[in-house]
Amino acid sequence: MARPWLVSVLCAALLAASYVPARAAGAVLVMNSNEATLSVIDLATHRELRRIPVLREPHHWALTPDGHDLLVADTGANELLLLDPSSFELRRRVPVADPYQLGFSPDGKVLVVNGLARGQVDVYEAGSYRLLKRFPLKSMPSHLAYTPDSSTVFVSLQGTDRLAAIDLRRMEVLWTAEVGKNPAGVLWLNGRVLVANMGSDDVAVVNPADGRVERRIHTGKGAHQLFLSPDGKLLYVNNRLDVNSVTVLDPASLNLLRTYRLPGGPDDIAFAPDGKLWFTLRFVNKVAVLDPASGQYDIIGVGRSPHGIFLNPRAAVPAAVASR
Amino acid sequence: MTAPFDTLAGWLQEHALLPLLYALGLMQWEDISFGWALFAVYGAAQVVLTFAICMPLEHWRPVERWPDARAVTVDILYTFFSRVGLLPLVTFVLFYQAQVALNGFLADQGWVPPTLERLFPFLLGRPVLTFCLYVVILDFSDYWRHRLSHVFGWWYALHALHHAQRQMTFWSDDRNHLLDEIIAFAWFTAVALLIGIPPMQFPLLVLLLRLLESLSHANVRLSFGWIGERLLVSPRFHRAHHGTTASGRQSVNYGAILPWWDMLFRTADFSPTYVPTGDPTAEEALATGSYAAQQWAGLRRMLRIRGAPLNDVTLRTQVGTPEGGGRYNLKQV
Repeated sequence: MARPWLVSVLCAALLAASYVPARAAGAVLVMNSNEATLSVIDLATHRELRRIPVLREPHHWALTPDGHDLLVADTGANELLLLDPSSFELRRRVPVADPYQLGFSPDGKVLVVNGLARGQVDVYEAGSYRLLKRFPLKSMPSHLAYTPDSSTVFVSLQGTDRLAAIDLRRMEVLWTAEVGKNPAGVLWLNGRVLVANMGSDDVAVVNPADGRVERRIHTGKGAHQLFLSPDGKLLYVNNRLDVNSVTVLDPASLNLLRTYRLPGGPDDIAFAPDGKLWFTLRFVNKVAVLDPASGQYDIIGVGRSPHGIFLNPRAAVPAAVASR
Repeated sequence: MTAPFDTLAGWLQEHALLPLLYALGLMQWEDISFGWALFAVYGAAQVVLTFAICMPLEHWRPVERWPDARAVTVDILYTFFSRVGLLPLVTFVLFYQAQVALNGFLADQGWVPPTLERLFPFLLGRPVLTFCLYVVILDFSDYWRHRLSHVFGWWYALHALHHAQRQMTFWSDDRNHLLDEIIAFAWFTAVALLIGIPPMQFPLLVLLLRLLESLSHANVRLSFGWIGERLLVSPRFHRAHHGTTASGRQSVNYGAILPWWDMLFRTADFSPTYVPTGDPTAEEALATGSYAAQQWAGLRRMLRIRGAPLNDVTLRTQVGTPEGGGRYNLKQV
C-alpha cells in the first residue's frame, strides 16, 4: 500500500537536496570574438559556467551610467546586446552599424561607438541610442577616451597613425594628429592623453589641446592597451609582441615599475576585488588570472580569440562606470 | 573539437603573422589577422585530411590507372593555390569587407541585417543545425550557378577548364579558371550576404564539406548505396557529371554536396557506371597544359565565343549513350 506521507517527505527531501542557493561570489563575462559566444566564468572557482551564443563577433562592452544594462558590441552582427549585468540575460538588441569599441561619456549623456571596419565614429544619445552624429574618420577608429568633463573624446585611428579629438558639444573634429605607428589604446591621465602605439614599442604622451606628442615611454613591441588600476596607483600597458609582456608604470611619473611576462597576447584587463588581474589572451583562447604580487597566474580556457572582459564581483549591479 | 586548430592558428598569428605585420608596418590588421591565420590553418588541414583519406581510396579501388599521370600535377598546384594560398585570403578579406559594408548600410537605415538565426531564433545556440541550413541554401544556389555555367557559351568556355581533365582525381576539385572562380565567389557572396552567413563561424564544418567535394572528384569506385547516393554527392554521382559525353550543355549531376536539386529539377543520373572523364571539345592545352597555358586557353576560348549560345559554338558534339554502356538521363537546360 502506498504511503502518501512517505512520498511527500521523500519529494521534499529531494527538492531540498537539489536546491542550491545562488551565490553572490561574482562572475566574469568574456567576449569570444571569433566564436560568436560569451563565456561566463565563476569568479571564485575560475570555472567556465556556460557559453552564451550570440550572432557573430562580440568584441567590447560598456556599462550604462546607471549600471542597469551591460552593452556588448557584436561587431559582425551590427548590434548592441543589452544584458543584465548580473545574470547576463539578454534584455534587448539595438541595431548599430559596425560597433567595435564603445564607451559612455563620464556625464552619461552620450555613447561613442567606433566602427573599425567602416571607418566611422558614431555619437549616440545615451538611453535612446539615437544617432546624433557620424564622423567618417579614416582609417580604422580603434580605441577611445574622454576628457573628465565629457567635452571631448579622443579616438585612435589605427590605419593612419593618428589620434582624433572630437568636440562633443559642437559635434566637430577639433584636430587629428600623428602620434605614432598604428595607435591603439587611449587613456586620459593627469591632463594628458596617453596612446599605445601598436606598430612600435611606445606609449605617446599627447597634449590634448593640439595633439602634439610631448614624450614617448618605451614599454614593449606592439604596445596595445592601457589600463589604470581602480585605485589609480598603477598603469598597466599590454604589449603584443616581443615577450608578450605587461608593463607596469607609475601613473604620476610614467616610470617603469615592473614587467610581467604573459605569453598568449594579453589584451583586455578586468580588476578583481581580491587584487588579481584578469587578462584575455587573444592568441591562445584563454584567460589569465594574474596575482600581481607573485607574478604567478592561473589559466582558464575560453572560446576563440577572447577580447573584452567584464567582471561583476557581486550579484548586485556594480557601482563603477567603465568601459573596455 | 576545434581546439587544436584554434591553438595552431593562435600560434601562427603570434609567432609568424604579427611579427611579419610589425616588420611591414601593417599592425593595423592585427585584430583581423587571427581570421587569416584560422583560414590558412583550416585550408592546410583540408589539404592534409583530403590527401589522407582520398589517396588510399584512389590506390585501393581506382576507376582508371594511368601510366603517366603528369596532368595531375597541375591540379595539385590549383589545390594549394585555392585552399591555402592567396586566393582564399583575398576572397575572405573581400567577403568580410563586403559584409561589413552591406550590413553596416542596412543597420544605418534602422534595418537589422538578415540572418537565419534572426528569422528562426531557435537556431541561436544550435550551430550544427544552423550550419546545415546554410549548407542547404548555399548548395541550392550553387546548383544553379553551376548549371548556368553549362548554359552560356562564354561561361562554359571558362568552366571547360574544369571539365577538360581526363585524369580526374581528388586534386581536380579546385581546377578552375580564375574568372570562373571570381564569378563563383561573387555568386556565393551575394547569396551569403542575403542570408547573413558568417565568414568563419563554422570552420570545422566547412572543412568537412570541402573534403566531400574533393572526394566527389576522386578516381575511386565508390558509391554511397541507393539511399546514400540520394543524400550526398558521391564520387560515382559526380563522375557522371564529368563524363566525356556529359560536358557542356548536356551534363547531369550539377550538385556539389546534395543530389536533391538534381533530383528535383530532373538532372540526376544515378546509373551505376563509372565513365571516362574529360571534354572532347576542349583544346589540349586545357587538359594537359601548364597552369598559365590552361588559364590563357580558357580566356582565349571565352573571348572567341563570347555572346554566342552554347549550341552554336559546337562546344560539344556528342550526345547520347556514354562509353561503358551506362544510361544518361540527359536533360536539355
